[in-house]
Amino acid sequence: MVTFVAVMYVNQQALIYQMGLKVKQNNDVYAKLVDHNKILVYNVLNLRSPVALERRLLAKEVELSMPSKWQVVKIDHSPKKLVLNYKNLAKKSPLANLFVSGR
Amino acid sequence: MYKGTPSRIRKVLYTLIIAFVLLCVRLVFVQLGAARSLSNIASNQYRLLVPLLPKRGVIYDRNLKELAININLVSIFAEPFKVKDKGIDSQKLASILGLSQDEIYKKLNQKRGFVWLGRKVSQDTARVIRALNIKGIDFIKEPHRAYPNGVIASHILGFTDIDNNGLEGLELKFDKYLKGVIGYRYAIRDAKQREVPGYEYKEIQPIDGDNLVLTIDSLIQSFAERELENGFKKYHAKGACIIVMDPFTGDILALSNRPNFDPNNAKAEPPDSRRNRAICDFFEPGSSFKIITASSLLEEKAVQPSDKFFCENGEYKWCGHKYHDHKPHGWLEFRDVIKYSSNIGTMKAAQRLGKDRLYKYIKKFGFGEKTGIELPGEVNGITTHPNTWSKLSLCSISMGQEVTVTALQLACAMSTLANGGNLVKPRIVDMIQDCTGNVIQKFEPKKPQRVISEETAREMRTILRSVVDSGTAKLAEVEGYFPAGKTGTAQKVESNGTYSHSKFTASFIGFVPSDNPKFVIVVIMDEPRPIYYGGVVCAPVFKKVAAELMSYYKIWPKDKKVAEKNNKKPAS
Repeated sequence: MVTFVAVMYVNQQALIYQMGLKVKQNNDVYAKLVDHNKILVYNVLNLRSPVALERRLLAKEVELSMPSKWQVVKIDHSPKKLVLNYKNLAKKSPLANLFVSGR
Repeated sequence: MYKGTPSRIRKVLYTLIIAFVLLCVRLVFVQLGAARSLSNIASNQYRLLVPLLPKRGVIYDRNLKELAININLVSIFAEPFKVKDKGIDSQKLASILGLSQDEIYKKLNQKRGFVWLGRKVSQDTARVIRALNIKGIDFIKEPHRAYPNGVIASHILGFTDIDNNGLEGLELKFDKYLKGVIGYRYAIRDAKQREVPGYEYKEIQPIDGDNLVLTIDSLIQSFAERELENGFKKYHAKGACIIVMDPFTGDILALSNRPNFDPNNAKAEPPDSRRNRAICDFFEPGSSFKIITASSLLEEKAVQPSDKFFCENGEYKWCGHKYHDHKPHGWLEFRDVIKYSSNIGTMKAAQRLGKDRLYKYIKKFGFGEKTGIELPGEVNGITTHPNTWSKLSLCSISMGQEVTVTALQLACAMSTLANGGNLVKPRIVDMIQDCTGNVIQKFEPKKPQRVISEETAREMRTILRSVVDSGTAKLAEVEGYFPAGKTGTAQKVESNGTYSHSKFTASFIGFVPSDNPKFVIVVIMDEPRPIYYGGVVCAPVFKKVAAELMSYYKIWPKDKKVAEKNNKKPAS
């Protein structure tokens, strides 16, 4: 009995170790991906930075200037979204809302 | 004991009894007296304390664009006693790490358990060294502070050391918020000192650093830096700075200095390049300071804009000292004295004010005191008390000599005129957020103090508009936006205490548009060559930045002709 319990205990400890090892490996992979992502984000920010953009544009001899008024179209309101009034639809006719999905 | 027992046996018996007693005493001592310390020694052998580093807070601009972020880089270390062939390995490593072989050999020969070979090296370097598979060389990840915009706003952001402690700028000032709190994991280690996974028995999570949101706009900052750089190079200046400020809230939209540095590699530049000249350097402002004298005179009603002063045709002797104007003038109205920046006219007008009243306004405009901006190293500037003034001081101070100021103080003073007479406190940090985005501290604009009346401010704006329109700063004119401002060209003081005839500080401080000011811009150039006039050196920088600001904020010109030109698509 004692031997059995002892073997079970050792087996359990080995399983804990294996599980821990797996968790560690997964964590390492996750950390590696996160680090890679951070470096990519940094590279994107770096490429998007005004200094880098300007340097590249100047290298290609592209000169940009701020737009004049005639070049700017100002949209006061965004276009109205299609809003369906379900209550009114129901009042109008029982078949009116037949094709309305996503309620 | 039996009588017949031989004495030798007795001796052995006594020895055993004594040994047994000693063992019992030792056992009691071990069990009761030294139990705790021995147990600690034992646990230290198998326990492992793993530090968990917090993420340093991110620094954002006003539009939440990242200005300072963190990335993890690999550091390389050696355990010298494990490295077998130190000569060959040091040779291999030297070429990759860019160090001398001797240097690496010395490191590998140290009688220590751990030596750094390279901190925060590039991914490629780490990959190549990893491929060598040298026994005793290992890798560890360390967080590294990165500045994706490079040189942009470097003097504001500052930089950190290799261990991510803030050393300059906001990184230093807000280090306690940014760095966070280190955490720990208590684990068990095996005989080879490796962490045994799955046996962590306690973990204290690190607390990530707080994020900073600034009032800076990275786009404004970038074009202000570009124009300053152009001016700085064109006039071979020793130093330069620019400040763009909202005159109503005191928000700093851009602040830049030249020479500058890349915070990603701050060590590459000399310490002089890392100085935030806009707040750390003080200088005699010269004619730019006449805005203070003129405002005081008008506020105290000591002069009217139409009062006339004789400007002595460019040369005036006062108390045994000769004063000059850069161009000779005869009779000028007071508004023209400022417009043409006549030293003689200004000092004659200042006589009506007296030294005590002038000093009162100098202090009211905030000179001689720190503005309180959230950046380290700000200086007061020097304003002496009238009790210590000489006979010449009133004249000298009225035209910006014998007084020293910082560029930021000038920006605040000009904001006072632009916003209708209130002195605003500049601010560069908008808020501190925790890592989840909750606002911990909000830096609201402080209540401004009234310095001059709205009427005086309006009058000053009209006078300053004439400076750009037809005075000394014609090169600052932005078509259709009516900017206003004041030029300054101050002689620098030589080491022997006399004014230099070859070293000057050129300045232009102004705002745009003059009828409804949105931005105050200060441009300072230290020792520009060969031209040194503020109206020639600094005014064009102001003009370009002001024009871009107007376009960026979509403020269209009010001048009918310009507006029509701007509204219509060119025929071509």
